[in-house]
Amino acid sequence: MLRLFPLVALTLALAITLPLRAQTDSLTPLQDALQSVQEHVASPSRATVPAVLRALLDADAPGTVDFLRAWGDREVYERAEDGLFFYALEAPDRMLALIDIDSGAEAGAVSTRAVNQIRPNAGVRREIGAALVSFELMHPEASRRLAALDNIARSPDAEQIEALTLARDAEDDSRIAARMDRLLDLLNARFATDTDVRVDAIDGLRGDISTEARRVLNQILQTRAEFAPEIPEGTNVARIRAPGSDIELIAAYATLAEAGLVPARPGRNAIRDALRRNVVDGAVGGIPVHQLTSDEMRRAAYAALEAQGSVAPLVTEDDMRAAVREVVFFDAYLEPDPAVTDAARDALDSTRTRISLWQFVSISLDALSLASIFFLAAIGLAITFGVMRVINMAHGEFIMMGAYTGYVVQTVIPNYTTSLIVALPLAFAVTFAAGVAMERLVIRHLYTRPLETLLATFGISIALQQLAKNIFGTQARPLTAPDWLAGAIQVNDVVSVASIRVAIFVMAIGFLAMLLYILNRTRLGLEVRAVTQNPGMAASMGINPDRINMLTFGLGSGIAGVAGVSIGLVAQVTSEMGANYIVQSFMTVVVGGVGSVFGTLAGATLIGFLQKGIEWFNPANTLAAQTFMVLFIILFIQFRPKGIVALKGRAAGD
Amino acid sequence: MIRKTLLTTAATASLMAAGAAHADCSIKVGVLHSLSGSMAISETTLRDVMLMLVDQQNAKGGVLGCQLEAVVVDPASDWPLFAELTRQLLTVNEVDVIFGAWTSVSRKALLPVLEELNGLFFYPVQYEGQESSRNVFYTGAAPNQQAIPAVDYFLEELGVESFALLGTDYVYPRTTNAILESYLLSKGIAAEDIFVNYTPFGHADWSTIVSDVIALGAGGKQVGVISTINGDANIGFYTELAAQGVSADDIPVVAFSVGEEELSGLDTSRLVGHLAAWNYFMSADTPENEEFIAAWHEFIGDENRVTNDPMEAHYIGFNMWVQAVEAAGTTDVDAVRAAMWGQEFPNLTGGTAVMGVNHHLSKPVLIGEIRADGQFDIISQTEEVPGEAWSPFLTESATLTSDWQTLECGMFDTATETCVQLTSNY
Amino acid sequence: MSLDIPRNTAAPAPSRRSFLHENPSVLWFMGLLGVFTVAVTVLSEGFGLGLISTNLVKVLGMTLCLCLIAIAMDVVWGYCGILSLGHFAFFGLGGYAIGMWLMYARTEIVIRDSLGRGTIPPTELEVSEAVAAQIFGVVGSSELPLIWTFAGSLPFQLAMVVLVPGVLALVFGWLAFRSRVTGVYLSILTQAMTLALSLYLFQNDTGLRGNNGLSGLQNIPGFLHVPQSVLSVWFFWASAFMLGAGYLLFAWVVSGKFGSVIRAIRDNEARVRFLGYNVEGYKLFVFTVTAVISGIAGALYYPQAGIINPAEIAPIASIYLAVWVAIGGRGRLYGAVIGAAFVSLLSSWLTGGGAPNIDLGFYRIVWTDWWLVLLGLGFVAVTLFFPKGIGGLFDYLVRKKP
Repeated sequence: MLRLFPLVALTLALAITLPLRAQTDSLTPLQDALQSVQEHVASPSRATVPAVLRALLDADAPGTVDFLRAWGDREVYERAEDGLFFYALEAPDRMLALIDIDSGAEAGAVSTRAVNQIRPNAGVRREIGAALVSFELMHPEASRRLAALDNIARSPDAEQIEALTLARDAEDDSRIAARMDRLLDLLNARFATDTDVRVDAIDGLRGDISTEARRVLNQILQTRAEFAPEIPEGTNVARIRAPGSDIELIAAYATLAEAGLVPARPGRNAIRDALRRNVVDGAVGGIPVHQLTSDEMRRAAYAALEAQGSVAPLVTEDDMRAAVREVVFFDAYLEPDPAVTDAARDALDSTRTRISLWQFVSISLDALSLASIFFLAAIGLAITFGVMRVINMAHGEFIMMGAYTGYVVQTVIPNYTTSLIVALPLAFAVTFAAGVAMERLVIRHLYTRPLETLLATFGISIALQQLAKNIFGTQARPLTAPDWLAGAIQVNDVVSVASIRVAIFVMAIGFLAMLLYILNRTRLGLEVRAVTQNPGMAASMGINPDRINMLTFGLGSGIAGVAGVSIGLVAQVTSEMGANYIVQSFMTVVVGGVGSVFGTLAGATLIGFLQKGIEWFNPANTLAAQTFMVLFIILFIQFRPKGIVALKGRAAGD
Repeated sequence: MIRKTLLTTAATASLMAAGAAHADCSIKVGVLHSLSGSMAISETTLRDVMLMLVDQQNAKGGVLGCQLEAVVVDPASDWPLFAELTRQLLTVNEVDVIFGAWTSVSRKALLPVLEELNGLFFYPVQYEGQESSRNVFYTGAAPNQQAIPAVDYFLEELGVESFALLGTDYVYPRTTNAILESYLLSKGIAAEDIFVNYTPFGHADWSTIVSDVIALGAGGKQVGVISTINGDANIGFYTELAAQGVSADDIPVVAFSVGEEELSGLDTSRLVGHLAAWNYFMSADTPENEEFIAAWHEFIGDENRVTNDPMEAHYIGFNMWVQAVEAAGTTDVDAVRAAMWGQEFPNLTGGTAVMGVNHHLSKPVLIGEIRADGQFDIISQTEEVPGEAWSPFLTESATLTSDWQTLECGMFDTATETCVQLTSNY
Repeated sequence: MSLDIPRNTAAPAPSRRSFLHENPSVLWFMGLLGVFTVAVTVLSEGFGLGLISTNLVKVLGMTLCLCLIAIAMDVVWGYCGILSLGHFAFFGLGGYAIGMWLMYARTEIVIRDSLGRGTIPPTELEVSEAVAAQIFGVVGSSELPLIWTFAGSLPFQLAMVVLVPGVLALVFGWLAFRSRVTGVYLSILTQAMTLALSLYLFQNDTGLRGNNGLSGLQNIPGFLHVPQSVLSVWFFWASAFMLGAGYLLFAWVVSGKFGSVIRAIRDNEARVRFLGYNVEGYKLFVFTVTAVISGIAGALYYPQAGIINPAEIAPIASIYLAVWVAIGGRGRLYGAVIGAAFVSLLSSWLTGGGAPNIDLGFYRIVWTDWWLVLLGLGFVAVTLFFPKGIGGLFDYLVRKKP
């Protein structure tokens, strides 16, 4: 953190000279001032910004504030031939019309290569922003004031308290005023000079789980590892570290060695290198070289060398213990006042339980979101596989087809909302048709040969995948969500759910309800159940099994298409996306219990929560979570082969 | 696992100008890039660049008075096939040089064949280092030419003190992150301020990971993300970043595998300000780059196609090879290798690339911020940095060095003063 | 007793005669395989005229390994009715087991040579650390995982080639058959197993170099000076021998009473169970033995391919295996061989750019792009219209007497 006095001094000085700015000088002092730090202005870096600000402060030239804003906004150009700075307007033919910084007069048009656009990086811009804070806080535009507040939140500073207090008094927008109060509290907690004010402010943060509050508390509680013969007076000790338990003996000794207090401990390589240097007539310390193939022999040889005094002494564990015993290792707070750190520690501890609770909520919501994606991917299968007992390996490709339909619609209809509204039913129609076609042409010939259905649909699956590659290429295509679905629903700083995930959840629920309705409350559903249970009897009751099978298969496929659009919105559309979901979808259906929509729901929920649960325990490796999940499912099926929701009696079929 | 092999002759794209072919004078350039499978999207572009470069060279009169002939084969993103086709190119087609490969695993697959048959190979992609083969010239960035400068930028310019290293679980992120972890520790970043996460290829479920990264902000330190996430997974990652409102001002993300090609087609308006580190950006404003882009657009017949870093690497590599062959007066591998050392060629971003004796290039490091139009604003450009084959930040390679000119070894241990091996690790 | 003696002495003779008599295809197959092996050797670069490139010898050797796993698949699926979508996982495990030794031993030679040139000889610990750094340096680690403890021992790793797939198949099969998982459920379960295994191997933490896999396997420790042109022929011989041995073994297994039982299980499992047979035992035996053969095929395949990585084990590979067998013709061993050889070589030829692209005027058919579409649809057609596959054609040629 780079906190430099000139920055603040500049803001104050500028505030005073601001009214005089109208007076135009015939000289060009701003350009001159900039030229005195030409290099730092032209290629700015976070470390050199203060030098520029100091130079500008000294020059006290008019137009400084405008220049700083333009500089930060990348609107300043350096003319290559003489290094002078200009503003510029775009002119035709890749030309730029230069504008003099001081006078505002046109200074001729040049090619873009004759000037360098100065592009301060984010770090530099933050510094510039901090210098301009007091002006921006008074800016008539609310958005600029809010941006300035964000800037304070990002790089808080003791001197900002004053500017912020001034601005707070003048503020009449209640929303911004509240934000200012909040920031003042945070600033006071960290920087106020009076201990009571600080402790009060810190106490105000008790139980506050927002990121910025915890950030401030953690900043107050920053520590530094130190050691000393005994703890010096007035040190605000965070904790004492006992060598051997809190800090490893070797590490503790190394710290002392680094400080030059004890001789460094020769490691294995150091011993080897020392031996290598001391080979005399094919032997080291009297031991022939060819015998030095174990650590014991090497240490013996080293000890012999040590006796000769030609190498540094070997440090034994006892030596290390003795050396370490002489000093105390401890962590000291950077903040010297124990009252402040105690209050901060208290405040932070008070948030702990609530944070874990909210984190649990957050992970549960993620799991729910994952479960709803699995459910959407698998629900079509629940119909074709679960109800009709048809293994459709091309189900994943129907998902992909739906997603590509969404992509194509999006290229035709630029409005994301409209295109989404068009894409959903269209995806259903396309995959419904594909499903019906497949059922008529292939699957209906194979109803008695389930294993061969698996293979035939697999053939269709690879053909469709390659077809998609031929048509759309191998690059992943994005499906962009409309703006109203692009954000996130922010419960607090710990829990936030992307709106699109909520939408998918709602859609999954919708499909569940729709399917239950169709299967249980409509004539089609009745006929589907009849055909599934006893096609012969159903046919004799006047139901056309062919038609029912076709419709059922179309329905399952159509839902896959809609799922494809939803999945495309959160992930990526590729020709292989279906293959990524197919095995998991089958497992969802099997785990849940074949033949039951509720079973699929249970299966998806179980898998979603399981995967997130494993991720929770091992956040560094997502792949491990997937592996363990698959393993768990394999075991689960061993012990409950009929799935969670096992149908009983005749409905269970074979 | 389908075996895709060339059983008969290779698809030979003969690019000879009519009448210029002499049976006794033909120099063959092998092009070994996947034209199908998962890597096709990245590698097909490089095949096209090679064809363009060969075309251009033939128009200039070829090399040593001979026309060049490009021999294009398709390893189909199938790693064993890279080894097989390398053997075929070198023994059946008898090419003089091969330009190709993208993934590290494909390079590792073909290395043993290359070293066995003493071929000459140019590898154009940024990679994890820890290798210096006798037969390979690495024209992409080594970690010290991309990862380390980007981390320096984070440390010095953005004041980042807490790092999230997110990567796809494969060799490049693993090694790069190992180097970066060790580098960050040496810079005084505490181990608990380094969060590492690996995800599978094509990972789609990013919400938890992005939440985890945001949660790091509560620690009181500026958080930055170093992304070695590869390929398709980036779409889900950036979508989730945008959805959760992570702005570049709060948590900057620097990516090593995201360039113009990957951003094309993605809605970048919500990603403005996030970063990428490369040795080349299409937005570099130099006459050479303008010429290159114009030639590319003309060759490919599409004004909307972007250029990217590996394309520049091939451009430099190919031209250096041409110069080296001219200098050596022959295409003999050993002679050309010797002529390659110290070979110079202008970069597209300004300055000059120099081939070192460790077979790595000196190139400038550029850091760019994503713009709304999918291009990059170059905000930092260093002087030329020589590529390091062996990272000094890993204990197992700290004492290793590579010098094919004087030490005649790509893996020389300076502590024991011996050449560990003349072949490479695969 | 007197009746028993002639029966005992007479029984083997007719049965041996009848085995070959009943299976003329075995003789034919062995003969063709022998001729093929000699022909390739004579034409190879390493041992003969040099008309066949080393590359092609390797391709043919690998194809023989694929034929071997295809007949294993045929036995488990075509004869026993278990559509296993996991046999390629066993194939990969065999490859990994031998690959570990190949990598470790080769690296150890290099390391000992390099460290031995130093002034002080290395300790065993230093050697194993240096080997680990070499093997795992490329994946950002330098420690030797536990499973590599015996990687330096060839007998141990050879045992692993058989044991790892065998034990996995045994445990998995026991669990699955015990709980009466059959039909498509079993297929899905085996596929899940394959997926879990490939995901597991994809992780670097597994200790098998993750996505990178094991590479440089074509260099055989102890024979590093032998040129690849010779090594490739050696491996070709080994593959041909194993294919012959495997064919003989399976032909013998399926032709006897055992074969009748497993075919009966395929056709009506419940009935066989009611007849008093231990159906689970039979299935487990077939599943495990074919898994072991698959592992051996893999152990021969990957030293020829030169590299193995988890992508090889992905579920799709096992499905392709089923495709080969189905196209070749289930329930006949030579059908599986024909299917594997035909589809994999055709696929290589078409995707490798060997086949001329067809210009239709308005559209250019590029085989690289359209081969998979053709394969997929062709496969659907075979399933629908020619359930006997290519092998079924032989029935027309050789009309068997009833």
